[in-house]
Amino acid sequence: MSITFWVWFGIAVYIAAGLVIALMARRGLGAGMSEFFLANRKVGGFVSALTYSATTYSAFMMIGLAGLTYLGGVGALGFELTYLCGMFMMVFFLPRFWLVGKKYGYVSPMELLSDRYQSKWVGATAAILALVFLVPYGAVQLMGVGYLMNGISQGAIPVVAGIIIAVLCAIAWSNIAGMRSVAWTDTFQALVMIVTSAAVLGVVVVALGGFGSFFSRLESATPGLLTVPTAGGVWNINMFIGLALPWLFFLISNPQVSQRLFIPKSVTAMKQMLGGFLIFGFIYTLISVLWGFGAILLVPGLENADLATPTLLALPIIPMGLAIIVMIGITAAAISTIDSILLTLSSVGARDIYKGLINPRVSEKRELRVGQWVIPIMAIIAFGFAWWVAEQPGNLLELMIAPLSSAASAGLLMAVPAIFGAFFWKRATAPGAIVSCVVGAIVVLGLQIISQLTGWKPLGWWPGTWGFIVCAILFVGVSLATKPPKKKADEFIGYLKEKLSKGNFI
Amino acid sequence: MTKTGWAWAWFGFLLALDIAIPWFALTHVEKMSGAFLFWTLWVALAIISAFVIFLRWKEARR
Repeated sequence: MSITFWVWFGIAVYIAAGLVIALMARRGLGAGMSEFFLANRKVGGFVSALTYSATTYSAFMMIGLAGLTYLGGVGALGFELTYLCGMFMMVFFLPRFWLVGKKYGYVSPMELLSDRYQSKWVGATAAILALVFLVPYGAVQLMGVGYLMNGISQGAIPVVAGIIIAVLCAIAWSNIAGMRSVAWTDTFQALVMIVTSAAVLGVVVVALGGFGSFFSRLESATPGLLTVPTAGGVWNINMFIGLALPWLFFLISNPQVSQRLFIPKSVTAMKQMLGGFLIFGFIYTLISVLWGFGAILLVPGLENADLATPTLLALPIIPMGLAIIVMIGITAAAISTIDSILLTLSSVGARDIYKGLINPRVSEKRELRVGQWVIPIMAIIAFGFAWWVAEQPGNLLELMIAPLSSAASAGLLMAVPAIFGAFFWKRATAPGAIVSCVVGAIVVLGLQIISQLTGWKPLGWWPGTWGFIVCAILFVGVSLATKPPKKKADEFIGYLKEKLSKGNFI
Repeated sequence: MTKTGWAWAWFGFLLALDIAIPWFALTHVEKMSGAFLFWTLWVALAIISAFVIFLRWKEARR
């Protein structure tokens, strides 16, 4: 039978397994916003850890990070592990989000900001920031699935067919039972991701004569790629900081992951969630980077580093069955990120935009229905965006994907000072939060466009770095010049202080 | 300094190492035992320190 048949067969098995899991999750579904979007805050530690892992790690790891390693060497490892080191901040933010989420009944991170700053416009601003920057991020994931299926099937599956499959899976798994179906399918997908990637890396390492031989061949073949700055000039310190800074704060800047800080059912579940994720992230990062290094040795000289993974999978040393399973693993990584983004954006659309700005007296039932409608609408927007970009000529495609991906993470970074202020600074104000988010995002987008068109970066610093500096200064300056919501700040931070002490949190 | 303050200071120290060691001290070590090994051990240290802190968390008394 042809490879196309087996690719379709693998996709069909994957979709069937996901649907069965999602439908099983629906059996325990109750009523209400908290039930649908947060699984009623009763998710166990194992599922919490794996849904957090699958949501965080997308197709970027085995394609983008592996490609970045192929192109620039060990700097890619440092960049991705800097993100993982940033997860140390979970010891501060996880208990804080969890405690106030339970106390005040927050459904989205934006609702937390609106309440803490006593201004619905703060939540709305952060919501718009998420809508603007997460749609392109989701679209890039869809395109990744399309190109991967197209590549593995040797062109038999059109790119747009792969995109449609990813969209339909994401809509189904987020709509069937909300967070329940997303978390359960994420758990399944996280296991697929880690097992398949470890298996295929094992095959590559064995083909290279084991780890000892792999490392010594790497040292002799590509010594310049084992240091930073890279000998070839790919990695420099400005690029490292420009890429690492937005990822360092990913745990609070990206609402699809920070919303998950509301879901563990107990302190024990929180501990399992954090511990499980840290171990998963450590292993998965090393696998992705070693995979990229393997590609350097086995398929040198590629013009486009993003093709390192598909090219490596097409080598005769990788059994066809394993290549297809890995394709499913990477597809799972992309879809588990997209469905979480859709679910979060739908909760944000219903709670922070519809209820917050348009119809404050809406019933919970109607609010939930609005949220469920937002899921396919956002999916269609992301699909349209991905399809439109995929249809552009090659050079224009390159011009659009790179700034979108880079601007997405940098743009979301602009909410970070407001989130820090909410938990740690009683003097923080709503005008400070709004101005810093809006101006920071404008600076990022403006510098991104200038950089893309002219190649110019002021002092060599990346747009996210400049945006963050401007954003932080504005947040502090405007907050000091305006009146804080003293009563709420005292109550919110006072409550946390008391509970943190009782739970031995820090 | 409070426990929270010490934890923030430790995190800041880890980030300083992230730049100082691979970007300045190990720039000429063109081996797996250079930046690759450093970043692997460095993040393991960050993960272990997070474990040390969060394993002490307990259910709050009613």
